[in-house]
Amino acid sequence: MAPVPVRLTINGQAHDVVVEPRRTLLEVLRTDLGLTGTKENCLEAECGVCTVLLDDLAVNACIVLAVQCRGRAVVTIEGLAAGDDLHPLQRAFIDHGAVQCGYCIPGMILAAKAYLDESVEPDEAGVRQALAGNLCRCTGYQKIVEAVLSAARARPAGAAAGPP
Amino acid sequence: MSGATRVVGRSLPRMDAPGKVTGTAIYAADFALPGMLHGKVLRSREPHARLLRIDVSRAAGLPGVRAVITAADVADVRYGGSVKDEEVFARERIRFAGQPLAAVAATSPEAAAAALAAIEIVVEPLPAILDVAAALAPGAPLVHEGWADYVALPILHRERNVCNRARIVVGDVERGFVESDRVFEHRFTTRSVHQGYTEPRAAVAHWDSAGHVSVWSNTQLPFEIQGTLSEILQVPSSGVRVIVPGVGGGFGGKLRVGVEHFAALLARKTGRAVKVMTTSEEELTAAYARQPAIVELRTGVTRDGRILAREGRLWFDTGAFAGSGPGVASVATLMLAGPYRIPNLLLEGYAVYTNKTNFGSFRAPSGPQANFAVESQTDIIADALGLDPLEFRLRNIVREGEEGPTGQVLTAVGLEECLRKAAAAIGWAERRPAPGRGKGIACGWWTTTGGSSGVYVKINPDGTVALNTGAAEIGTAALTGAAQVLAEDLGVELADIHVVSADTLSTPFDFGAQGSRTAFAVGNACRAAAADLTRQVLTLAARHLGVEESALQMQGGVVTAGEGRRATLAELARLSQASGGGLIAHGTFVAPPTPYDTKRVEGHVYPAFHSPSFHAHAVDLSVDAVTGEVSVHRYVVAQDVGFAMNPTYIEGQIEGGVAQGLGQALSEEILYEDGRVLNANLTDYKMPTAVDVPRVESILVQHPSLVGPFGAKGVGEPPNIEPPAAVANAVASATGVRITDLPITAEKIALARPERPA
Repeated sequence: MAPVPVRLTINGQAHDVVVEPRRTLLEVLRTDLGLTGTKENCLEAECGVCTVLLDDLAVNACIVLAVQCRGRAVVTIEGLAAGDDLHPLQRAFIDHGAVQCGYCIPGMILAAKAYLDESVEPDEAGVRQALAGNLCRCTGYQKIVEAVLSAARARPAGAAAGPP
Repeated sequence: MSGATRVVGRSLPRMDAPGKVTGTAIYAADFALPGMLHGKVLRSREPHARLLRIDVSRAAGLPGVRAVITAADVADVRYGGSVKDEEVFARERIRFAGQPLAAVAATSPEAAAAALAAIEIVVEPLPAILDVAAALAPGAPLVHEGWADYVALPILHRERNVCNRARIVVGDVERGFVESDRVFEHRFTTRSVHQGYTEPRAAVAHWDSAGHVSVWSNTQLPFEIQGTLSEILQVPSSGVRVIVPGVGGGFGGKLRVGVEHFAALLARKTGRAVKVMTTSEEELTAAYARQPAIVELRTGVTRDGRILAREGRLWFDTGAFAGSGPGVASVATLMLAGPYRIPNLLLEGYAVYTNKTNFGSFRAPSGPQANFAVESQTDIIADALGLDPLEFRLRNIVREGEEGPTGQVLTAVGLEECLRKAAAAIGWAERRPAPGRGKGIACGWWTTTGGSSGVYVKINPDGTVALNTGAAEIGTAALTGAAQVLAEDLGVELADIHVVSADTLSTPFDFGAQGSRTAFAVGNACRAAAADLTRQVLTLAARHLGVEESALQMQGGVVTAGEGRRATLAELARLSQASGGGLIAHGTFVAPPTPYDTKRVEGHVYPAFHSPSFHAHAVDLSVDAVTGEVSVHRYVVAQDVGFAMNPTYIEGQIEGGVAQGLGQALSEEILYEDGRVLNANLTDYKMPTAVDVPRVESILVQHPSLVGPFGAKGVGEPPNIEPPAAVANAVASATGVRITDLPITAEKIALARPERPA
């Protein structure tokens, strides 16, 4: 199919791209836009390394078409820190030793953010369930879970939007 | 270790963490060059066949295709570490389903995939050797008809489909059995499991006008890849530069050449940069997964629970090529002895060719397979003798100053402490707390691999320090550990160290990120460099300040003389740059040989464990009465790490190693049918997720190594060794069912239960 113009809103910025309709958000992020913080592995939504936020929900960018993202907000790992100020989840992952090889970490952090943003009372079981689609082979998940729970504890009261 | 350290021994955040949490860290899979083409590999669907014809003409004419290469386009060389039996593409004979037949470079991955589909091949299928038994059967066809002519390490014992038989003989095993009150014989089997790194193997290659190739790869061993590429490409090693950007996990799966050669060959053919990256299907069919194993153990004991003799054989399916097999079969014999004092031993490890992928080194290669057998049998024997399994172990484990199986003298043996602490933490006194619930324990030992490491360390004009190492950081934080050593010895902060790593052109040699050796060996090289640099700094400072060297002290980035005279490292570095070429040191380390009794071994590539570590795992689990499903409640690891360089990341190694080990224990298996993999995707190959892995409690035991930096031992591989045995023992404790075949699935447990009365 012929390429079509798409305006993508990524990390609050508009990007005009011309893409074949079959192309995935992952491919466009990594190849066309150079946003390689979103990682690539299985390409069939099993490993979770390509997790991004699409209208605040965690999705696997490898099975989302770029054209499906018209008019919707995409957040990638590059959009989380405010300048030099890391997002509390990023800070917590560093402080808790939750990072080893790091390849799963961008997806983990975004999956965790989606969970915390919608949870009024986050707990360990909830965190583990929220991260169950993100494989990590280095950490055994323990320090990742601890990091997410610590970020949850540190957030101001009423920070979670809760269910809409 | 005295408590006077400032930087080592502290849980400081790893140096590369900010880049990894913000997405700015560049991995090999992210790497790209202008005009880069995409390469893909055509792989055989037949496990064993004659390749009659391969026609690439239609594929080569497709849009976007820039090159198609086959065996006809590459030098007819065989390569490999211990046996040179490998080839880039099958030439006349196909030896496994997944073997490369051709490769394509095209302007997009889709165009390359379309070209693969357009390559015409004609094969004549042959009967395949699908397991070790078939390979060893009398009159079995040969996987390599020309095996005897291959170049190989001279010490290997090779014969037909066996590409090495390693052996340890101690005492007189038959007499030991005669003197024993009871002799136990068991057979255990394990299946292939994949390392499961989340970053696929990836490489980008680019040739320059001088005929030199640069390859950006996520290999664990850039210097080995340099050598292998030099052989394959037929260019001098100085013409091959291997650079390692970030690595998304390795676990031994990224040791040997994976996609680098395809990228380099395609790049040479096209004159363009080419990137090749594996798919999940390629990973599960044609990578270096763990060798399946058959283990037979015969162990003789006295009535009061002393082990007198052991005969053990372990056969590894090494697949179509030797690869790591001969070495891993050697290590297996040391693991079959276990961390036990046994006066009579006959132990053999075999690496056997079959028509499967070339299985390889996975974190503690041979460890989980051998330990599963040894530690399962240890429990079986204890039960039969009416002894508590912990007590039986304590009567037989090696202790300080005793001999290992090949006669090495063991020092810094923390095993008893590990066993007692793990048992206490799991609540061993109550082994069967409820129906269907039980606890298991397993212990083991492992090596800290030797090899040499070099570092260049220089002091920058601002007083910070550059650490230039040939080792790759694969995720363990080993280079953070080495930098902590350097910071400690130079009297600066960890934040003052900048690391440059793993570029065969510009970094000094390193034996590589393998065998739990990086922090150990690079750390020691850093100590040597720091000592040299300190001498240089003091000599320069003495001249500059006009005092005797002996009057100087160096700490906190400042050199001071008693009478208030001082010079900062920054000043001295600038002074040296203006007058003497800068402050720089080349620190080196090579692990001293571990003496052993050469008469005890044959065909052995790895006859002793350097600075061995000792460990005990304990698990508390329940087994569902109906389904057989296992739920792990608690998991405890007590590991003798020598000295905890950075406790947080050692815990991280333990937690991750246990998770990976639990996958091997309970759910992971590459399933074969007729030589083809049935589950070559991450849906059907079941790695543990965040909801599957329990909390792991780490107990760091510290009996300092005499050789390691500040007493540290290798820590990365060991946590992967004991989980299958610990789980098997706990399942037996919970249910009375002994599973001797990994993985211990719910189905196997349910089917093995005695029939209930109707």
